[in-house]
Amino acid sequence: MSDTNAKAAPALVCESVTMRFGGLTAVSGFDLRVPKGALYGLIGPNGAGKTTVFNIVSGVLCPSAGAVRLFGTDITGLSPDRVAHSGIARTFQNIRLFRNLTVLDNVLVGLHLRRQANVVEALLALPRHSAEEAQMAATATKLLEEIGLADVSHYRASALPYGQQRRLEIARALATKPAVLLLDEPAAGMNPAETEDLMRLITDIRDRFSLTILLIEHEMKVVMGICERMTVLDHGETIAEGTPEEIQRNERVIKAYLGGGAVVRH
Amino acid sequence: MMAERKVVHPALKIAAVCGALVLFFLVLSWGQEHWDAYTVRILNLCGIYIGITLGLNLCNGFTGQFSLGIAGFMAVGAYTTALLTMSPAIKQAVFFIQPLIYPLNSIQWGFLPALLMAAVVSGIVGFLVGAPAIRFRGDYLAITTLGFAEIIRVVFTNIVPITNGALGLKGIPPHTNLLWSWGFALICIVVMVRLMRTTYGRALKAIRDDEVAAEAMGVNLFFHKNLAFVMSAMMAGVGGGLLGNLITTIDPNMFRFPLTFTVLMMAVLGGLGSITGTVISAAAVTVAMEAFRVLEEPRVILGLSIPGVPGMRMVVFSIALMIVILFYPKGFMGDREFSLDRVKRFAAGLSRANTSKQG
Repeated sequence: MSDTNAKAAPALVCESVTMRFGGLTAVSGFDLRVPKGALYGLIGPNGAGKTTVFNIVSGVLCPSAGAVRLFGTDITGLSPDRVAHSGIARTFQNIRLFRNLTVLDNVLVGLHLRRQANVVEALLALPRHSAEEAQMAATATKLLEEIGLADVSHYRASALPYGQQRRLEIARALATKPAVLLLDEPAAGMNPAETEDLMRLITDIRDRFSLTILLIEHEMKVVMGICERMTVLDHGETIAEGTPEEIQRNERVIKAYLGGGAVVRH
Repeated sequence: MMAERKVVHPALKIAAVCGALVLFFLVLSWGQEHWDAYTVRILNLCGIYIGITLGLNLCNGFTGQFSLGIAGFMAVGAYTTALLTMSPAIKQAVFFIQPLIYPLNSIQWGFLPALLMAAVVSGIVGFLVGAPAIRFRGDYLAITTLGFAEIIRVVFTNIVPITNGALGLKGIPPHTNLLWSWGFALICIVVMVRLMRTTYGRALKAIRDDEVAAEAMGVNLFFHKNLAFVMSAMMAGVGGGLLGNLITTIDPNMFRFPLTFTVLMMAVLGGLGSITGTVISAAAVTVAMEAFRVLEEPRVILGLSIPGVPGMRMVVFSIALMIVILFYPKGFMGDREFSLDRVKRFAAGLSRANTSKQG
């Protein structure tokens, strides 16, 4: 696809990131350069260390060695809420919505970190808080319209069907106004029609919110269909990096990821 | 189907609320003079427990941080208020083993500043306990806070020059009346309703539902959990202060675990995460605590004479709690709230059901 993107300044950089859990090295010497505005894939067999990378980037884990940079700023070892403030939002492999809150409230929680009013102003309903609250409600409603969840905005999150829960997770992440969005297996458990919708949604929000998206995915159709470049992990090591076409032709990838003798049909 | 929504002018709404409040407090101040002492005492306890239970619910229900330290904060508030409101002469008489230390033995504050001080002191203690303890989750937090409440009790038993040790304080001025206790309840209700309508309230509920996701969305766990914990401690502290000045005598053993359990039972019965449920159940349990005293009296049933069994009503409460947990695991209100809209919707549903049955 586009090589112009690859030459732009990188949004997210991992420099020889290593993560050891006791004797187990989950990720070793991981390098990543995600150009600004890219749709970048991170693939690999089960247990390859993909989610560990996500947890390091989003601040859940502090790497044993190496650095993570967002637009040149070192964010290694920041707590997850600080990472969110700095402009990285994520979704989860197993959906983690605020189940008892409404769809609208879920998105409003995503807007919480950009608040201006302090607790006292909020409790006393002072003008700054009231104005902000009205503005937040408007922003959240608009966001839900764009994602296509406006008509269920007053449902409890747990009452939504699976595909819509995935969408809501993305909407909630977008509410934090991220520069980089991390999607952890967004198509997991979706049927083909929902997957099609999701692919459209992902490319669509990338353009509309001028995002950089890093995506973990098992569904080959999704990764090969929408990602411009990707990195392949196996047993914590990077075995390949390149465009979908290059990856599909890469001997090591086919052997490690798809098993010996497999043929990629696309 | 639905009738057009009538828009009530906001000024009219405010006037109606103010009118209702004035009427409510006029009735209370009339009742303070004219109702019998027993009724007044129970109503006072209702108001106080509503406030304290709301505080507990803020931490345990809305934020999902299961704390069992409420009795400790009540003790801090009760002792602060009592020591500030007792007259120097009474303090001298009460502290006959060891005299009270200097600044406390010669001052006497009004009730309001004393209660505010109770809020400040229990808030500070709440932060000192909460800041390290709040890092624990689930059972560990419960055990840590339970331990803290016991530590407070033991410390209060042993710092005789301040607390008069196990003898406790006597002759605390009976400042608490219906206006104070229900004023406190009302302030707690308003604070809770307000808080839950703000972005901070939503963040607390988000922490309850999924801590990991909340943190990933930029919610600072340390700040928000401590916010809930400290506010909860402050409400308990003021409630404890009102309680002390209602019964006029306090000692460390009043603030044992059963007190926490009573407040927790009120919150669970009403619904962890429901303001309305908490108010109803705190009032109902307080009244029932007194009403069930007849169970502990000796009596003759069908020719059998049954001796009085002290503690019988706690058996009844335990059974009630078990029934509620079995059939209403989320309490009577769950995390729903009472609102006029809900009533209207319910009524509309009923009439619809009626018409469809007839038709």
